Amino acid sequence: MTDITKETMMPPRSFLSQDAIQLFYRLLAALLICAVLAVFSDSFLSLGNILNVLRQASLTFFIASGLTLVVLTAGLDLSVGANVALSACIAGTVIHKTGSPALGILTGLACGGIVGLLNGIMVTALRIPSFIATYGMLWVLNGLTYWYMAGETLHGFPAGFRQIGSGYLFGLPIPVYLLLVFLGIGTLFAQRTIWGQEIYAIGANPVAARLSGIPVARRLLLVYAVSGIMAGLASIIFLSRLNSAEADIGESLTLPAIAAVLIGGTSLFGGVGTVFGTFIGALILTLVLNGMNLLSVSANWQPLVTGIIVILAVWLDMKTRRRAQ
Amino acid sequence: MKQTLGYLALPLLMAAAFTTEVRADGETIAVFTKNQTNPFFQTVRVGADNMAKSLNGKTLQYIPTKPDSIPEQLSQIEDVVVKKPSAIVFTPVDYKAMVPGVEKINEAKIPVVNITDRSAGGKFLSFVGADDYSLGLETARFLLKTLGGKGNIVIIEGVKGSLTNVDRVRGFNDAIKENPGAKLLASQPGNYQRLQALQVMENLMQSNAQIDGVLAANDAMAVGAIEALDGANRKAQVIGINGTKEAIDAIKSGKLLASGDYNGFAQGCLGTMMAIRALRNQPVISEIVLKPTVITKDNFGPFDVPLEQRTCPTFEDAGKLGAK
Repeated sequence: MTDITKETMMPPRSFLSQDAIQLFYRLLAALLICAVLAVFSDSFLSLGNILNVLRQASLTFFIASGLTLVVLTAGLDLSVGANVALSACIAGTVIHKTGSPALGILTGLACGGIVGLLNGIMVTALRIPSFIATYGMLWVLNGLTYWYMAGETLHGFPAGFRQIGSGYLFGLPIPVYLLLVFLGIGTLFAQRTIWGQEIYAIGANPVAARLSGIPVARRLLLVYAVSGIMAGLASIIFLSRLNSAEADIGESLTLPAIAAVLIGGTSLFGGVGTVFGTFIGALILTLVLNGMNLLSVSANWQPLVTGIIVILAVWLDMKTRRRAQ
Repeated sequence: MKQTLGYLALPLLMAAAFTTEVRADGETIAVFTKNQTNPFFQTVRVGADNMAKSLNGKTLQYIPTKPDSIPEQLSQIEDVVVKKPSAIVFTPVDYKAMVPGVEKINEAKIPVVNITDRSAGGKFLSFVGADDYSLGLETARFLLKTLGGKGNIVIIEGVKGSLTNVDRVRGFNDAIKENPGAKLLASQPGNYQRLQALQVMENLMQSNAQIDGVLAANDAMAVGAIEALDGANRKAQVIGINGTKEAIDAIKSGKLLASGDYNGFAQGCLGTMMAIRALRNQPVISEIVLKPTVITKDNFGPFDVPLEQRTCPTFEDAGKLGAK
C-alpha cells in the first residue's frame, strides 16, 4: 500500500477543523478563569505568577502529552505516575553513584521508555486491554519502587542539574522552554505526520485502520513507548525541581495527568483530541489550584472545586461536540 | 500449616534447649505498620526488630502494599490469625475502621499491643504512642519563639480530614493564637506531598510579600517549601514534622529550623518490649504517651545516627518516658 492511497483515505487533519472549535472553547474557559482570578486577586496577573503557573503546568503537561497519544488510540496508561516515581528514583541513584547528570538523565528516559514498551507489548502482543495492562504495571512499578527505596528518600543533586527544573534563561523558567518545545513537537507529530494521522485513524476505527494497511501493532507500541519516555522526562524535571526523589510521588501525578487530557478535550473513546488541548487542560487545572491558593480558599473546598471543574469540562465537551456533529 | 507448626514448636524447642530460668524465648512478634512510604514507619519497624533481637525474639512485618489500605490490613489480620504469632504489635491504618480487625485478633486470643495511632476499640495489653496535637503545638511554639513571638505565618496542611493532620494543624493554630504579634496569612493543603507543598508555597509567595515562618505538617512538605523559597531567593523559618533523615540533614545545613519527632524508633522498641514482657509474665506498662521532641540544631545528635545503630530505651527508661 502506498502513501498516496493513505493520503486519499485520510485527508490531513486541518487545524481549522472541529478540533479547532473545541480548542477555542477551552481557551475561552481558561481565559474566563484568568479574568475571574484577576478581578479577585491583585497578585494573579503579575509576571511572576504567570511564569509560576506555566512552570507548574509544565510537569503535568509532560506526563499528559504522551498520555494524549495513548488516549487518541482509545487506550489509557494508568502507570504514568508510578513510572515517574520509579524513573526518578533510579535516575537519582545513578546521579548519586556516578556524579554524572547526563548519565542520570539518559537512565531516567530509558527507564521510562522501557516501561512504556512493556505496556505496549502487553497491549499488542498479549492483547490485554490497556486499562488492565497498565493498571497491573502500576502495581508492579509501585512494588519495585517501594522495595528499592525501603522508606528512604534521595536528596541533594548537583547545582547544574538543578537548573533544568529550577533555572531561568532570559527571564523564563527552563521548564517553560521545554514545555513549548514538546508542545510544538507533539502538535506537529499528531497533526502533520503520517504516523500521527495513523494514530487518529486507529483510535477512530481500529478495524478500518488495519484494513487500510496501517501497522496497528507497531503504532500502538510507539504510542506507549512515547508515553513512557515522557514520564521519564517528567521524572528528570521532578528530580531537578524538587532536589529529591521518594517512592510515593506516583499517585499524586497520575490523576491530574489524566484529568488534563480529558479537560483538554481528548475523548476516552479515541480518535478525537489534540496535544494543544491537553496543554490547555493542564493550564486550567493549575490555574484553579493557583487561584485557590492566592484567594486562601479553605483546604476543605479545594478537592471539591477541582472535581467539579473536571466534570464540567467533560460534560461541556460532550455537549458542544454533539451540537457540532 | 507446616510453617504454623514451626512457629508453635520453636519456643518449645528453645525452652527445652536452654533449661535456664528464662521462661521462654524465640517468640515471633507480628508487627503491623501503615505503609512502606512514610519513613516514620521504617523507624518503627527497625525499633521493633532491634528490641526483638535483643530479647531473643523475632519479628514478622505486615505492611499493606497500597499505603494505608483498610481492606489490605484486614486481610493481613486474617492471615495472621491463621499463622498465630506469639503476639502482635499493631498500628491501625485507620483508627476506627480497623476495630473489627482488632476484635478478630482478640477472638483468636493473640496478645496485642497498640502503637502510634490509638485504636477506637478492641482489647490491648498496652498502648505506646504520642499525640499529634502536642507535636504541632510544640514545634509551632519553637518557631514562634525563634521569631520573637511575631511575624507572618503560613501553614501547609497534610491530607485534609486525616487524624494526624487535624491534630497537628490544631496544635499549630493554638500556638499562633498564643502570640498576639503573629499573623496567620494562609492555611493551604499540600497533602503531605513535596511537589504540592512546593507549588503551594510558590503561589503563596505571589500574594504575600512577607512570609516569616512556615509550619508544614510533615518534613517532605517542609523541604518542598524550602525549595520554593530558595528558588525565589526568599528567606523564612520553616519547621516540619517526623524527624526524617532528610530533615536532620536540612537542620544541620541550617535550611530547616526544626522538625517535631514522636520517636517512631522508641515506639517500635517499647511496643515490642511490652508484647514480649507480657508473654514472659513480666509486668508491663499499660500506657506510654511519649513527649514530642523538637529536633533543632542544638540537639540533633542522637537522631543523626543510622537507625540500625540506635539503642532502644530500657524498661526503666520507659517508665520515665511518659507513662501514665
